[in-house]
Amino acid sequence: MLDISDLEVHYDGIHALRGVSLNVGTGEVVALIGPNGAGKSTLINAVSGLVPAASGAIRVGNDDLTRFKPWTVSAKGVLQVPEGRQVFSEMTVLENLQLGATALHGRPRDAGVEDVFELFPILEERSSQLAGSLSGGQQQMLAIGRALMGSPKLLLLDEPSLGLAPVVISQVFAALKKLKEQGMTILLIEQNATLALELSNRAYILDQGRIVLSGDSADLAADEGVVAHYLGVDAEE
Amino acid sequence: MTNVLLGYQPLFDLFLLHLGMAYSQWLVLRAGVFSLATVGLAAVGAYTGGILVVTLGFPAPVALLAAALAGGIVALGLSVPLARLRGVYQAIATVAFIQIVLSLNIYAAGLTGGPQGLNGIPKTVGTLTLLIAGILTVYLMYAIMSSRLGRAFDAIRQNEAVAASLGVSIVRHQTLAFVISGALAGTYGALEAFHSYALAPSQFAFPFLIAVLSYVVLGGRNTIIGPIIGTAILLILPEIARPLAEARMLVYGLLLILVINYLPRGIADTLIERARARRLSARLAKSDTAPTTAARS
Repeated sequence: MLDISDLEVHYDGIHALRGVSLNVGTGEVVALIGPNGAGKSTLINAVSGLVPAASGAIRVGNDDLTRFKPWTVSAKGVLQVPEGRQVFSEMTVLENLQLGATALHGRPRDAGVEDVFELFPILEERSSQLAGSLSGGQQQMLAIGRALMGSPKLLLLDEPSLGLAPVVISQVFAALKKLKEQGMTILLIEQNATLALELSNRAYILDQGRIVLSGDSADLAADEGVVAHYLGVDAEE
Repeated sequence: MTNVLLGYQPLFDLFLLHLGMAYSQWLVLRAGVFSLATVGLAAVGAYTGGILVVTLGFPAPVALLAAALAGGIVALGLSVPLARLRGVYQAIATVAFIQIVLSLNIYAAGLTGGPQGLNGIPKTVGTLTLLIAGILTVYLMYAIMSSRLGRAFDAIRQNEAVAASLGVSIVRHQTLAFVISGALAGTYGALEAFHSYALAPSQFAFPFLIAVLSYVVLGGRNTIIGPIIGTAILLILPEIARPLAEARMLVYGLLLILVINYLPRGIADTLIERARARRLSARLAKSDTAPTTAARS
């Protein structure tokens, strides 16, 4: 589904990604974990076309996305849920979701508003409310729902747990688990390694712009030393 | 009674003319383009309409259509360099555009009448025509903003990168907003020409730019009613306080500073937002499902 090879990205004068290679198979959930500033968001933004790649390739099917504009990336079914939610706060919940359908660009629709409401019932209750008046957790749900409206073939999730209370995080991750069971292909970025390794099939650890380790999530999670060494002791929970 | 109302007819006409310009300005801002070109595009429309009627003897409706087209086409041309700029640079570039239109107007005296202006335009537009134009304009704005196109404009204004990653083409949408805004400015420029017998280049200069921008900022940038409220207040104000009429620009300036400080979203937007917040807290107080707590947003 997604095949990244030797990706080099310079961002804000920093050599953010140094020869990153990574792949995500169809129906797979792959986690990309690493400390703050490792280049995780830069990688997702490069896939989305928001940050230009200096060299390397980002292949989805027969297309190399490094030459694509952001909106044409979305037309290929590659959609991201950005870091910090970034819902359109002056629009209602429903309008946010409707806007998400823009990404279809004529592709067949897999999910509609009803499906998003089924996954996140709270959004139906708040559908006429301005997105800016939602709590952080609800905004995260809205951001995920907004991306689902574009029927993603590959969903890029950037730190869905960021800044949320533990009880809300487990709600969000329960929904992600449902998506996984439905066969959604996901690339998940997380600082919270425990959560990410629990949800994913495979994982890559990114440190200072390089992939330093990769493998099955279960194996990585079992190896306490690895997680502690690269990610610091996971004391967040 | 009728006499009293008739006394206010010129003011009402002025209100309708300026309202159209305000919507031209409002639409581009709503789509996240910080363009101030409305006044320059209105000049293009006004002179296109005036010259077609006076010099070439076209009927007014045809000239009006041509003016709208001219405004839209010039806006389309201008959108190319503008798409590469953002924020305050767009503002500066469009102010430069107004200056260019102003200068061309004066240099091309053979065509435009130069500093003396264009005179002897037959008056073909009255209150009724302006009222119909006003209603159509408000309806058009409403139709655009409640469509997918309007949602895309709103999304771009709020967060360009996210809008793009969700499939909204920034350049296409902003160009479209700018062209519609240009056609609107062109139309109202021509209406102004057909309403007031004569055109002078200085009409479409800096003071008018400030006025049009003030209508939108004072009234509200993100609601349809915003420009109506802003235009009404700023036009009626000098009439109520006659001694202030001399110092119109001074009053505009002071009012703008006050509004930007205390009602940063403009009068209509702020009031609507407050009403909305009140309704929401009333509803939340009633329902027992308290909002889920989250650390920060």
